[in-house]
Amino acid sequence: MKISLNWLQEYVTLDAPVEEITRAITFLGFEVEGVQVTGAPALEKVFVGEVRTREKHPNADKLSICQVDLGPAGGVKTIVCGAQNYQVGDRVPVALAGAVLPGNFTIKQSKIRGQLSDGMMCSARELGAGDDAGGLLILSSRPEIGLPINAVLPPGDTVFDIEITPNRPDCLCHLGVARELAAWFSKDLKYPEARSASGEPEPAEASAGLPGGVRVDAPDDCPLYSAHVVSGVKIGPSPGWMQARLKAAGLRPINNVVDVGNYVMLEYGQPLHAFDARRLGGGRIIVRHAADGEKIRTLDGVDRTLNRRMLVIADGEKPVVIAGIMGGENSGVSDDTTDLVLECAIFRPGAIRWTSRQLGLSSDSSYRYERGVDPHCAAEAAARALDLIMATAGGRVVGPAFTVGGDVPWKREIVLSTGFVRERLGFDIPDKAMKAALEALELPVIREEAGPGPGMTLTVSIPSWRNDLDRPIDLVEEILRLHGTEKIPPAAVAAPGLPGEDDPVVRFNRRATDYLVGHDFHECSNVTLRSAREVAAWVSATAAQELNLANPFVEDQSHLRPTLIIGLLESLKLNQSRGVAVSRLAEVGRIFIERDGLIHECAAAAFIAAVDPARRWLKREPVDFYAVKHHVEALAGMAGVDLASEPLAPLVGGSQGWQEGHSAEAGLAEKGWTARFGLLNLSLVRALGVEGKVYGGLFAILPERLKSGAPRRRYADFSLFPPVLRDLALVAEEAVPAARVRSDLERIAREACSAAQAPAAAAFVLESLELFDVYRGQGLPEGRKSLAFSFAFRAADRTLTDSEVNAVLQRIQEGIAAGTPYQVRK
Amino acid sequence: MQEELSTLVARAASELPQVRTRPEFEAAKARYVGPNGDLTRLMKQMGAVPKEERPAAGRAVNEAKARLQEQFDAALRRLTEAELAAELGPPVDPTLPSPDPGPGTYHPLTLVREEMCRILRKVGFAVADGPEVETEFYCFDALNTPADHPARDTQDTFYFPSAARFGNVTKKTAGEKYLLRTHTSSVQIRTMLQSPPPIRIVSPGRVYRRDTTDATHSANFHQLECLSVDRGVTVRDLKALLDYIFTALLGPGTKTRFRPHYFSYTEPSFEVDLSARHLPKVNKEWIEIGGCGMVDPAVFTAVGYDPAIWTGYAFGMGLERLAMLLYGIDDIRYFYQNDLRFLRQFA
Repeated sequence: MKISLNWLQEYVTLDAPVEEITRAITFLGFEVEGVQVTGAPALEKVFVGEVRTREKHPNADKLSICQVDLGPAGGVKTIVCGAQNYQVGDRVPVALAGAVLPGNFTIKQSKIRGQLSDGMMCSARELGAGDDAGGLLILSSRPEIGLPINAVLPPGDTVFDIEITPNRPDCLCHLGVARELAAWFSKDLKYPEARSASGEPEPAEASAGLPGGVRVDAPDDCPLYSAHVVSGVKIGPSPGWMQARLKAAGLRPINNVVDVGNYVMLEYGQPLHAFDARRLGGGRIIVRHAADGEKIRTLDGVDRTLNRRMLVIADGEKPVVIAGIMGGENSGVSDDTTDLVLECAIFRPGAIRWTSRQLGLSSDSSYRYERGVDPHCAAEAAARALDLIMATAGGRVVGPAFTVGGDVPWKREIVLSTGFVRERLGFDIPDKAMKAALEALELPVIREEAGPGPGMTLTVSIPSWRNDLDRPIDLVEEILRLHGTEKIPPAAVAAPGLPGEDDPVVRFNRRATDYLVGHDFHECSNVTLRSAREVAAWVSATAAQELNLANPFVEDQSHLRPTLIIGLLESLKLNQSRGVAVSRLAEVGRIFIERDGLIHECAAAAFIAAVDPARRWLKREPVDFYAVKHHVEALAGMAGVDLASEPLAPLVGGSQGWQEGHSAEAGLAEKGWTARFGLLNLSLVRALGVEGKVYGGLFAILPERLKSGAPRRRYADFSLFPPVLRDLALVAEEAVPAARVRSDLERIAREACSAAQAPAAAAFVLESLELFDVYRGQGLPEGRKSLAFSFAFRAADRTLTDSEVNAVLQRIQEGIAAGTPYQVRK
Repeated sequence: MQEELSTLVARAASELPQVRTRPEFEAAKARYVGPNGDLTRLMKQMGAVPKEERPAAGRAVNEAKARLQEQFDAALRRLTEAELAAELGPPVDPTLPSPDPGPGTYHPLTLVREEMCRILRKVGFAVADGPEVETEFYCFDALNTPADHPARDTQDTFYFPSAARFGNVTKKTAGEKYLLRTHTSSVQIRTMLQSPPPIRIVSPGRVYRRDTTDATHSANFHQLECLSVDRGVTVRDLKALLDYIFTALLGPGTKTRFRPHYFSYTEPSFEVDLSARHLPKVNKEWIEIGGCGMVDPAVFTAVGYDPAIWTGYAFGMGLERLAMLLYGIDDIRYFYQNDLRFLRQFA
């Protein structure tokens, strides 16, 4: 909100420099977003001059040489001028040598294109007296020649653009800000005198004003409504001083009555509204909720459709104002208005906010009502407005005010111990200073008692405009504000040890990121919200139905991301299209997986790897399915999931993001985690405009599954004797997955181990079983493959002999022949 | 015999350097010291040597044997070296570039987040985490946000349809709506509801505002908040923490200042400014870096902490903003485009 320094001076004498006032506002708790100095500053050696002659400059088409008369200030001077908007005989500001114009621009006698110039004729902008830089400031009031320019120009003002926090609606006016500054600078606050309240109004005439009176049908939303009738006003422009202040505060002057309403709003914070009494149908005012579908054309010329939750001010026939927000075109003050009804009301903040949001319509009035207007100030503001109306538009108050509601008493006291303040602050402010701070803020201390302890107990009376103060802690803030937050003394951080550990999700994220970056991936950050189209294409149509927001802001960010892959591909594409070689991207973040109508928020890590696009002097193995499998296994391992021991299923239809036959998944919603990896769907990748094959992997897990935590591992003894190694190749049908062959073989081998050894003391085990070769082709029938495995046997207590191992191998071969469809390859 | 030995040694000296492979070497060696080797044969003749000549002959044989062994050792050394050289191949040109892509890079937001977490962990803050999908209770109610506060408005906050059901985001009350959290303060609420005081946590995370994307706004961005709850925590402690954080981050001489402000969940509340002259692209003395305050008693009441016993402070800031300040980045959108030329600058 814009606050004028000139206006503030009305209530408090501020003699500090502007910088000091800016600082005060800042440390009182209001951000100063800008300070604008308007009007002319004090200018030395700038005078009123009259142009006597004007001739073209011999060496420049656009310049003129003028003889300018400055009278007693310097006589006739020669001035070279580039402006075009003046004529001989005009009076203009003239800056002579030695003058310093805004922007630290010093005027000197100088030669311009060979012609001597004694000074400069000035535009409003050059004097800092306005924005007009289009030409010289023509002084059309023809002030006396030679007068110092400051005697002619309107005085300057300083306007602070202040952000008022939502808890301080009392500062949405000049008096409120003045009150704060008076407290800061220890000055007195002078309130304006409002006389009408005590004055005797004339008796009502039957024909004038509001014969129908005021009725409030919605007292919950309108706890106070008062209407004053003023008769015999003459509409015209408001006085210059009022216009200047309104302009400084950013409002456009309209006419004397409207301007008074705005002026008092900016003075007291109480919005006011004036009706033309003739235009109130039925001569009455009804405060009621609108009917559904009821219409009003507001002052901004827009037709608005109302509903039954919206409060309106109506006359006997129609709504005339959207209560607290904006008046209608049909009832306002116009040039021929003679009788007014002045509204001064209080509305429930929530009601105004709701309607304002619904209609997308806000105003200076609604802004204040939404935040709360002090009901106990309404009468004074109305009286002040009546005074100003009569002073600027004439007329007289007719009859007593029509007032409905508003008779809510106000009394609030907070009992505050100074020890409590010190305890919360952690440093000392003397009792006396605390009391002074409160009283400076017009929070009178009405009782003081000694104790508890060395401090005092203060009973503080809270004025009605400080509805934000309710508890002792609220007063701690008031005291600290006035004491100055810059004076909080430094200290060391107190950090007694706490046993808390980082959240398991945080640890997983960190490990996953470290792993991926350590494997040459570039960590990305993509937005969480994706489009329905992407979600349907890359995951499923169901996901696209379930993951949507109720109120997306833009169409292509309407859904939660069900995977990190979409974003990573987008990043891949961006780099490709910008000509940046890219192959490995990764991201760690939240994804949202839908299963059976329930959405689960999961911690996830994902990566993509495209074929390295760069030409290299030495060839490297391109990325393939098994490389991404390795990374996904590693990521799963960080979450405590042993992916190698989990059944893997090839990804088929319904998982559109992945290429059928070249991708796999493991885990399910029931397990609380999922892993997907392999080749990304080629046609989708192509459709995105990404070149080449892209492999990817994703591991996601429910955060609570990570939280359950793994028990601390226990050490297991291991053998110090050497292993015995044996190889065995099995021939199987092409369609049989290697994992099944392996698990069959492992089962048989373990059985063989235990069967071969009768005495437990002689036990040895199959320590590992590794698949080391896959072969198809010559020597094998069509549709078959050979899988070669390596066994490692080891005993805990001795070096194994060939014969005992061979016996086991014999049994394994028998077991395969008897119990499996595989053949041992000789 | 003496003569034969000398011839033998001389022959070996000319023969062995010609040997190229291990089998050749073994064969050559056998010709001298094998069962049918020449030296072996001469040694067998020792018995026939007259007794008085034997010591001299013995010495000569030993001498020859030692000489031969030297030859063998030298040849073997030469062979081993040659084999090694063959295995090694030609020497590398160390100035050729590695053909592997890389190295990987951390995202600048990760770098800044982790740096802040490290700084805070040193003074006893554990890193906490919570869901990005939240409910009105955790995001607003428990934080003392009035029921009709504009922050709750659908204009500013992303909501989910009332039919949306989340399997692992708990609701406090059945009727409340799901939304995308607008700040990470919801993590504070979940943490306080879960564990008794004292606590000290830092919660970094992604948050959402329904806002136009431009150079300084993004639909999602990241925050980092600290919460400390204990007996006797004061405003001065809060200021001490902020001074510590930014001194640790930016070096000695870094200053912070508090400006009174308003947040519904803290009282008193402050905005925090940082002395910023030494930061890139900053030409103001003070820049706003975050908000903080003493936890409002209403928040403690909402989570079942007794505000008569416990006090605490909270501090929050935007991670993008911090990263932009630290690195001199002037457009928030760069964080979400992942242009490698951007990402590579910070690792």
